[in-house]
Amino acid sequence: MTSNRSKNGAGMIEFRGVNKWFGALNVLKDITLSVEPREVVVVCGPSGSGKSTLIRCINGLETIRDGDLVVDGQRLGDPATNMTRLRTEIGFVFQSFNLYPHKTALENVTLAPIHVRKIPRAEAEKAGRELLAKVGLADKVNAYPAQLSGGQQQRVAIARCLGMRPKIMLFDEPTSALDPEMISEVLDVMVAVAEEGMTMMVVTHEMGFARKVAQRVVFMDAGAIVESGTPEEFFSHPKTDRSRAFLSKILRH
Amino acid sequence: MAIPDTSHYCLLTTAYSLTMLENFSFRTIVEYLPLFGQGLVTTVWLSLLSFAGALAVGIVLAAMNLQRGWLFRVPAKAYIDAVRATPLLAQLYFLYFGLPRLGIILPELVVGILALSLNSGAYVAEIIRAGILSIPRGQVEAGVASGMTYVQRMRLVILPQAFKVTIPPLLGQAIVLVKDSALLSLIAVAELTRAGQLLASDRFMPAEGFVTIAAFYLLLYYGLKGLAALSGRWLGLAGART
Ligand SMILES: Nc1ncnc2c1ncn2[C@@H]1O[C@H](COP(=O)(O)OP(=O)(O)OP(=O)(O)O)[C@@H](O)[C@H]1O
Ligand SMILES: [Mg+2]
Repeated sequence: MTSNRSKNGAGMIEFRGVNKWFGALNVLKDITLSVEPREVVVVCGPSGSGKSTLIRCINGLETIRDGDLVVDGQRLGDPATNMTRLRTEIGFVFQSFNLYPHKTALENVTLAPIHVRKIPRAEAEKAGRELLAKVGLADKVNAYPAQLSGGQQQRVAIARCLGMRPKIMLFDEPTSALDPEMISEVLDVMVAVAEEGMTMMVVTHEMGFARKVAQRVVFMDAGAIVESGTPEEFFSHPKTDRSRAFLSKILRH
Repeated sequence: MAIPDTSHYCLLTTAYSLTMLENFSFRTIVEYLPLFGQGLVTTVWLSLLSFAGALAVGIVLAAMNLQRGWLFRVPAKAYIDAVRATPLLAQLYFLYFGLPRLGIILPELVVGILALSLNSGAYVAEIIRAGILSIPRGQVEAGVASGMTYVQRMRLVILPQAFKVTIPPLLGQAIVLVKDSALLSLIAVAELTRAGQLLASDRFMPAEGFVTIAAFYLLLYYGLKGLAALSGRWLGLAGART
């Protein structure tokens, strides 16, 4: 499908002049952003600035009104783009985990691989066990979500995404629903995923994580990308008043 | 002045019920027991069939009602409203007298089962829809994000969870249906209430007839309630997992 490839399609995720409205509200304003393969980009900004909307557009949980959004060489909204197929290449980790409560940890991880990827059950289960072991939950394979702590649930959710062998992982504030003592266990897993070369966009205010693995921090405010730079640049020398105000707020906590 | 009147009435009714009890013929009831037994069996299986029909109607209506486009949603809503706004008896007569006019001649029993299915189906549709809508949006999104199609999401994620929440209200609706099936006696279906009516009219023993059917309905009610409790306990166990 070469016709469907982006022309200068080096980026794994390419926003070009993307705009989105919720009614009269311009939630995404002329977003242009390119994420390279294996790159880790952290997105931060005040509440309501459009961070969730930005990453939800990438797997089509939200649709854009104008501009181009090209993911893995496929243009979203293009009739030639099979969105369901494309979604199998994109893992999405939610703030509230969204594990399937009627399935065990292992079943959560194997459900989509078996039914969507059509991987034989035995093979999917073997891979699922390995993934759960990798996120430190080898002993929780048969536990139901309600029997797991928040941090454990979020690690299962990450394993569930990895089970699809995605090319891209998106995280929407993966640790902000967690008790403080559970944050690091989830961040550690995310660091490990990043170090394996996954292309990642992570909405988070965890500066330690950003400094450790992110190549870039993107700061959003009121639907626009206001500033973007390396974690070092952004955290030590924020360029705009708005980012300085934002940083002083999150640093105080 | 009103006071002596009332006490007078009280005395009268008490006396009346006493004589009634004295004359209450258990023998006749026993004599009619085979008839009641047949009526009970008929009520049970016609209710089962009607409930199966109601589930089928309800699933289709709920699916229509959950569509985004109006094409399916509006007719489903109109049907559900029409059924809920009118008495079952009117619906039963509508079919009983209306269908022959359209040249459709069906046995009374079939008309009865049809009426109960179509009526109960509207309520079942709302129960199913509420069950599906009670599943958090995040569950749908998790399915979408992992590349599931609409059908896969429904089958693997939404319906198994909605199923649990709908079982208790569905059993409640089944109880209503069993009681509603008494109306079929009016179109001469030989179910439980009809048996009571026969005893009442053949032997002029309305008390015996209707007390007996009340007892049988109570029996059915406790049967279904027991089932609801059992399923509740089972769901309660499963619920710990949610
Ligand atoms: N479905 C929706 N309908 C209407 N408005 C919405 C919808 N979803 C989000 N919004 C609005 O869009 C704006 C951006 O929302 P978004 O969730 O992307 O912000 P965010 O940066 O993720 O905020 P937070 O840090 O609170 O999660 C907000 O003003 C929000 O109220
Ligand atoms: Mg958000």
